[in-house]
Amino acid sequence: MAELLVIEGLTKRFRGLVANNDVSFALAAGELRCIIGPNGAGKTTFISMISGHVVPTSGRILFKSRDITKLPVHLRARIGIGRKFQTPTVFDNLSVYENIELAVLATPTPSRGRHARIMRTLDLVRLAEQSDRMVGALAHGQRQWLEIGILLAGEAQLLLLDEPTAGMTAEETHSTGELLRRLVRELELSAIIIEHDINFIRDLKAPVTVLHLGRVLVEGSFADIERNEQVRSVYLGNA
Amino acid sequence: MTAEIQPARRGVFRREDVAALAVFLLLAAIPLATSGYVVYILPQYMLLGVLAMSLALLWGHGGIVSFGQAAFFAIGAYAMGLVMKHLTGMAINSAYVGILVGTVGGGVTALLIGYFLFSAGVRAAYFVVATLALSIVVEQTVKSFSDITGGWNGLYVDRMTVTLGSWLELSLFDDAPIYYVVLAVVVPVYVIATALMRGRFGKIVVGIRENEDRMTALGFNVPMYKTLVFGLSGLLAGVAGSFYATHAQFAHPVNAGVLFSTQVVIWVAIGGRHSLLGSFVGAIVVASLSNYLSSIEEIQNYWPLVMGLIFIAVIVLFRGGLAGLVEKLAGKGAHGRAAGH
Repeated sequence: MAELLVIEGLTKRFRGLVANNDVSFALAAGELRCIIGPNGAGKTTFISMISGHVVPTSGRILFKSRDITKLPVHLRARIGIGRKFQTPTVFDNLSVYENIELAVLATPTPSRGRHARIMRTLDLVRLAEQSDRMVGALAHGQRQWLEIGILLAGEAQLLLLDEPTAGMTAEETHSTGELLRRLVRELELSAIIIEHDINFIRDLKAPVTVLHLGRVLVEGSFADIERNEQVRSVYLGNA
Repeated sequence: MTAEIQPARRGVFRREDVAALAVFLLLAAIPLATSGYVVYILPQYMLLGVLAMSLALLWGHGGIVSFGQAAFFAIGAYAMGLVMKHLTGMAINSAYVGILVGTVGGGVTALLIGYFLFSAGVRAAYFVVATLALSIVVEQTVKSFSDITGGWNGLYVDRMTVTLGSWLELSLFDDAPIYYVVLAVVVPVYVIATALMRGRFGKIVVGIRENEDRMTALGFNVPMYKTLVFGLSGLLAGVAGSFYATHAQFAHPVNAGVLFSTQVVIWVAIGGRHSLLGSFVGAIVVASLSNYLSSIEEIQNYWPLVMGLIFIAVIVLFRGGLAGLVEKLAGKGAHGRAAGH
């Protein structure tokens, strides 16, 4: 598989603090990857640099072989990088339908095709029945799904998901995992997922990158990671 | 499925279209039923209504408050006056050039200011202060360059004549002809502005009001859209100012200042900032009411106080203004896409 995203020696310093230190990373097209690590490991900073919200101090980011290190957020979104924020960032005062509609308006979809596209997305994230509801009135888990729907409707190819199951019930968490696996399989999307929920990560059956103190500690399958002594000592041990 | 809040998608629009039709038919009928002062003054109020719409699309849809609308209005008014005064002996009707210069002048000024402010990330209260300063700058400019602008005396502006080659020459000196010409300008302005704000552009502007970060992360160039909506707003204020000058037959610093800009904010707040029609009607009603109250001897000195109390009452009791109140009374609860704040 071709590499969708290649990151070379990425470093971010906030004054004295080194949030990311010489991180190199590669993600194949159609790959699902989990990023774990204790608090302060630099996970959110890492995906913020991919989405363009944080400018790296040094290093390079290549998306589809193009250097995007200095590209602003909205232009990264246009070439297919979609970010779900830690706190759902949706349009609370608009309806579910209108939320997805705005995402579709960001794409070159001709006006005739918009409605069908919106409904297809709503079906995919199981919000078709909530179409007319105000987003502010949705349950937390539904808002998380809506935000994923927004990324899909916006034609993102790389999903950056910062704690997509935060605040979800065990059942919702489980179906979120199913949804993500289905998206990767059926729509050939790629995703980088920051998570804390070990059961969710185990369910995803995806490769895991462990960050610790801003560096990549180790990468591998969940089973490998679970057995790794270093990881156990910095992370799983006190989880 | 029972939803607590139903966003009214198409229903509200049809109702607002019916209301708009009723308002414009009523305005069209007034000169047939009466004459005199009402027919003289209403076109001016309609143009103030266009000025109110210029703020409503910015504030109600975009969530951007501006105390600079008077500046663009004055640019339109003075451009009209100066062009009509100095552009003589040309084959082309100088009033047309004046309207064009006034409208484009208002729009381009807003575009430039919007570009610098929005691309520098100026927003919320800081943006309001910048627009406030703009009103002061324009007011001081027209006061200071009195050789050109007439300073505090204002600038005399001729009533325009509508021409169409050698086929038509219609003087707008009388009240009724200019009334209908103004109405014939106001209606398409309303229709085009409404269509724009209901279409892709308007939806994006509402999205920016609701969540700028999400819109950026979706790939929208947020500063560009803010600049465009501000430019559109300046354009509308400019067209209103151009016609106002030729109707009122003057351009005056009073129509450039902070005080006048504040009045625009009040009209829009009372009329309903989420509705272009509401703010248009709001301006006409409030301007008429001020005019009427100031003519009653017993309260002549208190009428600004009365207006202030009405303003406060509207803000406290119905935040959606008259348009929001009408919608609520018309049933179906919530305010639809414009709801929220």
